[in-house]
Amino acid sequence: MNVSVAPDIDLALDHPIALETHHHSEKKGIMHYLWSYDHKMIGLQYLWTAFLFFLLGGALAMAVRYQLGFPNHPVPLIGRFLPSTLASDDGTIIPGGYNMLVTMHATIMVFFVVMPLLIGAFGNYLIPLKIGAGDMAFPLLNEVSYWLYVISGFFILAAFFAPGGAPGTGWTAYAPLSAVAIYNQTQVGQSLWGIAIFINGLASIAGATNYITTIITMRAPGMTMFRLPLTVWSLLITSILLIFAVPVLSAAAAMLFFDLNFGTSFFKPAGGGQPLLWQHLFWFFGHPEVYIMILPAMGLVSEIMPVFARKPVFGYKAMVYAMASIGLLGFIVWGHHMFVSGMNLTLSATFAVSTMVIAVPSGIKTFNWLGTVWKGSIEYTVPMCFTLAFVSMFVIGGLSGIFMASTPVDLFVHHTYFIVAHFHYVLFGGSLFAIFSGIYFWFPKMFSRMMNPTLGMIHFIATFLFFNLTFFPMHNLGLGGMMRRIADPTVYEHLRQLQPLNVICTIGAFGLGLSTLVFFVNLFYSIFKGPQAPDNPWLATTLEWTISSPPGHGNFPITPIVYNGPYEYSVPGMDKDYLPQNEKAPTNIQLEIH
Amino acid sequence: MSSSALTTPFDQVHSTESSHHGAPPHVCKFGMIIFLLSEAMLFAGLIGGYIVLRLASAQWPPSPDLPALPKVLTGCNTLVLIASSLAFHMVEVSVKSGKTGRRWLLLTILLGSTFLCGQAYEWTHLYREGLWFHVGGVYGSSFFVMTGFHGAHVLIGVLLILWCFLRQCFFKSFTQHHHVALDNVGLYWHFVDVVWVFLYMILYIV
Ligand code: HEM
Ligand SMILES: [Cu+2]
Repeated sequence: MNVSVAPDIDLALDHPIALETHHHSEKKGIMHYLWSYDHKMIGLQYLWTAFLFFLLGGALAMAVRYQLGFPNHPVPLIGRFLPSTLASDDGTIIPGGYNMLVTMHATIMVFFVVMPLLIGAFGNYLIPLKIGAGDMAFPLLNEVSYWLYVISGFFILAAFFAPGGAPGTGWTAYAPLSAVAIYNQTQVGQSLWGIAIFINGLASIAGATNYITTIITMRAPGMTMFRLPLTVWSLLITSILLIFAVPVLSAAAAMLFFDLNFGTSFFKPAGGGQPLLWQHLFWFFGHPEVYIMILPAMGLVSEIMPVFARKPVFGYKAMVYAMASIGLLGFIVWGHHMFVSGMNLTLSATFAVSTMVIAVPSGIKTFNWLGTVWKGSIEYTVPMCFTLAFVSMFVIGGLSGIFMASTPVDLFVHHTYFIVAHFHYVLFGGSLFAIFSGIYFWFPKMFSRMMNPTLGMIHFIATFLFFNLTFFPMHNLGLGGMMRRIADPTVYEHLRQLQPLNVICTIGAFGLGLSTLVFFVNLFYSIFKGPQAPDNPWLATTLEWTISSPPGHGNFPITPIVYNGPYEYSVPGMDKDYLPQNEKAPTNIQLEIH
Repeated sequence: MSSSALTTPFDQVHSTESSHHGAPPHVCKFGMIIFLLSEAMLFAGLIGGYIVLRLASAQWPPSPDLPALPKVLTGCNTLVLIASSLAFHMVEVSVKSGKTGRRWLLLTILLGSTFLCGQAYEWTHLYREGLWFHVGGVYGSSFFVMTGFHGAHVLIGVLLILWCFLRQCFFKSFTQHHHVALDNVGLYWHFVDVVWVFLYMILYIV
């Protein structure tokens, strides 16, 4: 297979070798898997841990959907083993238990699955490889960040076993419900939630510090900012968002903890506190958070799309500026989650307008993706299918977002299943589709084997169909007036006629669960039995494809020198249809300036 | 060699000495500054919340029989903390001029600990006067949580400086040309002081 070697070896040797930047040696035995300073191992640690949480979060979702589709029917098989905080003796989910399931599902998916996969796993694995560095700037901090994530995971899991059970206040933990123990009845569970969020935040901050420093200071010679692959750009911008958004949630979580356990009254009206303060702090974090969960996904698909369209990304710089402005604007729109909070109407209109402005850079990105596949020679591989599906699902989710950004519409749909449809289109159809795409795409680099394309295609088609079957009807449920976070829709007169839609969603959800199992079967089968992968199976241009699979300790045998932008596909006049970043273009070829 | 056109920060990475983790000094400092930005946001969240709650309160303290915060005593304590920042600055000056800076380190530790003791005294004093986390609504809440968060930062700072001091005594770890950990502890320490000046202003003075 074509392995591109750094072209001028003697030139490269003038530059000290990447390996020199870190003195730690490779760990042996079990410690290699548990306490490693190698960014690739840390990335894989994040990957596997997050996959475990993914299975748990998925199981919780199945329970939630079962209850909504078939309210008050005992859960088959496992129902009788559920703790009494979740289900009654015969295995029927009880209303309070339903709230716990929803809360834990969302908390786990957001903080323990999507963020760790996109940022922890892909970020760690790809950043040094893509910028031509031997490792992260601070390998020790990197491993500490992973273990902080694991510790926060233990705290969130402990909430299930707390007296009174897990918190049931939603992932948004609105006060005063969350802040007053006699209201929520889960003082311990809610406190563990706060601790978990706080420690998880420390992990995020440690990781983000590392990423920003690494990207700014450790790029290989020639890797200018505008030659950075878009994945790296997206992770840089995401890290900046993490640095500015996460600590505010940490502060809020701490105050919540003190309200619950020390009798403070930050969020309790009785002592002069304000429940709305929680909402402001939470959403000051929360809206940037949704971009934290979508920007890296955008980065991954922007990277995968040109490979399988064999065309450069359309409007590389526009992509960068669009991501940067999405990140910036993301900090001034949080009020769109609070339109019904009794907010002043002028302020409300301001938030509505600022939110709609974000649609502009989002639209730019969408059209650039279309421009990238336009007239390309598209190869419908599994990663490409997920990437294309990402774009279409993101458009649906983005459009419903613009509906909701308009205050009068939101007054009607707020806290209904319309919102639930919206954020699953952007989070599952968006972030998770991109994660799947990324796994199929970088699997050969990570495990030096190919994934099975047939199983992959089955996974893709099933996921795509069942995803839409599950979540599209939720738009209709929401417009029909179905509220979020209710355990039994059939007790409401106006929702009874909509119950068939709920059954459809539930069927879709179980299909989605099964198709995810296909993915895991493929994953494990391919790790052990997949055909050996060449170093550059997709004929891609970025630096990680120029070295062995998996890359050795220290990544680059010689520091690569970068001559080109990241997406030189189908360069006119060249005999091969791609030009790796570390290969000089033949002298007769004129590249567009990057 | 035309590599000047290709120059990136990577080249500087190798030019100077490395810390024990491998990253060169300017990289370490860069990372520290990013981290401190996030710390600043943590305090911004707390302070922002405090401002919102306080503005919504008709009078402050919310009830006249709540004890007032000791402005003067804590004002002196604030001066102590500022002095400790200056002392740490002298650590850096003397290390850069080739000395060990041990005495200045010790002085910083003493001043930092004095500040902590002052805070501990103040907490116990207010506790005896009947003010605690759960007393006086947001008045007690915000005071104890904010000074508590800051105090924890000072404690960590003192421990870090103690660590520097011990390393300096036993291993002579920091020299004229090798002092990045010291610089970073310094950045942290100065940051914690600056935060305190803000906290003192809004909690005690305004
Ligand atoms: C075009 C861009 C977007 C716009 C205009 C938009 C707008 C909105 C608005 C107005 C709400 C509040 C609705 C309500 O509660 O009444 C909302 C909720 C939400 N959005 Fe978006 N959104 C956009 C993109 C995204 C993306 C990319 C994500 C995540 C990856 C996301 C995740 C969420 C989540 C999780 C919620 C619900 C939060 C909750 O109440 O639990 N959104 N969005
Ligand atoms: Cu939002």
